[in-house]
Amino acid sequence: MPLPREIDLLGIYMPTVTLLFLVTLAIGWGIDRVIAWFGLYTYAWHPILLRVSLFTCFYGVVALYFYQ
Amino acid sequence: METATVASPSAFRRALIEWWQSEGVLWVFVFKALLSVFVALWLAYRLELPQPSTVIATVFIVLQRQSGDVLAKSFYRIIGTMVGLTVTVTLIALFNQERVLFLLFLSVWLGFCVAGSARFRDFRGYACVLAGYTAVMIGVPATLQPDNAFMNALWRVIEIVVGILCAGLVSGLILPLTSSSNMRATQYNRFRDFIGFAMDGLNGKLDLTQVEQINARFAALAVGLENLRSASAFEDPRIRLRQGRLARLNNEFMVLSTRFHALHRLLQRLQDDNEEDVLEALQPCLDEAVLILEPLRGHLLVDAEAAQQAERLDSSKQELMQRIRLARQQLAIKLPDEAQSLDFDTAAELLFRFADDLHGYLLTQASLISTHHEREQWKDNFTPRSNGLAAVISGMRCALLVLLISSFWIATAWSSGSTAVLTVGLVSGLISMTSRPGPFATQILIGAFGSGAVGFFLYFWVYPVIDGFAILFCVLGPVLAFGAFLLVRPVTAGYGVGWLVWFCILSLPVDLTQYDPSHFLNEWIASLIAIGAAAVAASFILPPNRPWLWRGLEQDLRMRLVFAVTAKLKGLVAGFESSTRDLLNQAYIQAAGHPDMQRHLMHWMFAVLEVGHAVIELRQEQAALPREPWYAKSMEWRACVRIMEQALVDLFMQVDEDNRQRALIAVEQAIEAVRNTPEPRPPQFDTSPLRRVLSHLHFIRTSLLDPHSPLAKTSSVVIESASLATAT
Repeated sequence: MPLPREIDLLGIYMPTVTLLFLVTLAIGWGIDRVIAWFGLYTYAWHPILLRVSLFTCFYGVVALYFYQ
Repeated sequence: METATVASPSAFRRALIEWWQSEGVLWVFVFKALLSVFVALWLAYRLELPQPSTVIATVFIVLQRQSGDVLAKSFYRIIGTMVGLTVTVTLIALFNQERVLFLLFLSVWLGFCVAGSARFRDFRGYACVLAGYTAVMIGVPATLQPDNAFMNALWRVIEIVVGILCAGLVSGLILPLTSSSNMRATQYNRFRDFIGFAMDGLNGKLDLTQVEQINARFAALAVGLENLRSASAFEDPRIRLRQGRLARLNNEFMVLSTRFHALHRLLQRLQDDNEEDVLEALQPCLDEAVLILEPLRGHLLVDAEAAQQAERLDSSKQELMQRIRLARQQLAIKLPDEAQSLDFDTAAELLFRFADDLHGYLLTQASLISTHHEREQWKDNFTPRSNGLAAVISGMRCALLVLLISSFWIATAWSSGSTAVLTVGLVSGLISMTSRPGPFATQILIGAFGSGAVGFFLYFWVYPVIDGFAILFCVLGPVLAFGAFLLVRPVTAGYGVGWLVWFCILSLPVDLTQYDPSHFLNEWIASLIAIGAAAVAASFILPPNRPWLWRGLEQDLRMRLVFAVTAKLKGLVAGFESSTRDLLNQAYIQAAGHPDMQRHLMHWMFAVLEVGHAVIELRQEQAALPREPWYAKSMEWRACVRIMEQALVDLFMQVDEDNRQRALIAVEQAIEAVRNTPEPRPPQFDTSPLRRVLSHLHFIRTSLLDPHSPLAKTSSVVIESASLATAT
């Protein structure tokens, strides 16, 4: 599903990646909560690195899916 | 010589470790600062942002040693920026033709924000500061080009967000120094120190100065740990799931130290009054308590051990109870008078409750091991409290200053006036969170002066001959590293802020650099004048470290008792304990250099804690009474307790001898009324509510009678003498 490169948001043209960034941020936050709830971060060597990497992966997947 | 050479490798290693733990951390910070600036600056040039200086200044303002602080600050910074953006765009839309009105409203908004930051003093305060100076940063340039204002505003937000992202990622990912580990270490250390302190106290080895010092430190730690906790929640998901328990732990520690303080004061009073019989009867109980504490002494109690210790304490508590009953029987043989047996009962109850509080603390600490635990259900909050007048004054000072500089700008058509207004707004925001705004602003001034001189040299002699980002960064590196080095030490932090922020504003090359020395010098001078004006205003217009604020804080401390009497019972203990300590902590910082004043305010905190805590427990006791006729609200003793509460409120609102006598009479009447109430229950304090009520009342009475209490002295004398000392 090709998406327009820019989205009209209340009269301002926003790059779609920006919106995807916000969407991924919300999804990432949800996943983070779930992982934390089950105590899985105890097994991570560097929780912050894990969080950032997960976010990067998701963002990459979402962006590539819409921009292929 | 021989031994020295043999010992040297291990000594060297030890020295290396010591260096790493003290100085090394600072150098890690400098390295991380340079790395985040490198990334941020590269991005700023790559994305062709119009003002790379905003990006870098943001990095330096957000950057902290601990990653949790950086994340928390970043979060609130984004919120503050968004609020500031909204307000400015609204103001621009309303007054874009009218600079005077625009600046008037801008200064009022800034005043509000600075007052807010002085009021909250935590991360929310930081959001207030940012909402204020984002408004200035966007708004003031916008008055010159109103048609571009909206786009400029968006650019500023993007620049700020890029700066935050770089700082947050670098400090979180590379060599992270987590707030959570710092918080846990602080908690362990505090508990160890407390156990040592309590054992010394029970053995009668503490003098008043030690008690004051350690209580001042505990108060500061209680406030600091609360901030660390909220920062750690941003950084570590494991901490976020334990937030309730960690808050509870902090609160239980405060209750524990208040309880111990009450017990210690009572024992001291017994000694002062030479109550040998009572003390002798109590001694075996105290020895038993020391025995209970002994295994906890001198080592850091980790969570895994806490469960076991809690179990041990649970059984020791029963032994302590037996010991107390035995001691009471022995005292009864000596036929004590009414006051003596009351003294004994009160002290014994305090001792038992101390053990009970300790048990609760250990249980909470043990519960931290599991991800989920029922002790997590803790709704009471840490209640920060600050002097409202001080917040209003700092807000008004800032608003007036911005107004003054703006009118000077408009009246003289000063070409760099906008820079001056912007600078004054920024500095007012930066200093409003510090405890000593005047000296801090002076440090900023000196730092900005130095970095301007260095910047001038770089701008006109070095930038023209270099080419490419790598070489530019090689040139900037040492200057920024020096600034970061100043920034990381609390003593020189002001110089660091001035150096870095104004270096970024004045001397960072933009994409299309214009080499205009007179413009550079004008901007530099305008910045220095504005920072100087802020420093003068902060030092001379009602500076906070003066008697007016001490008096205000003393009043606020006393008002905590009114709070204890009148506020709702739900969450009262946490609110009372935390706000009293927060006030004391501020008072201690603001009265730095005046030990008499510090001691005076500390004694007020003691008086408020002692009486307030007893009043709260009295109220809790009454709320939990069973439905039996001798506990009914219409009984005489309940009326007497209500009268006594009112008398205490009067006393703490207006301290004088008359009110103290009135309060004493009211307490004595209440004691008499309770004693005359028939209660068909065994007279032990675990079975008889009236017995417990009696010991709370008795404790209040001894507090009021204490000749060392500030209630017994007229407090104005101390403040007058302290203000004389500052004047001379």
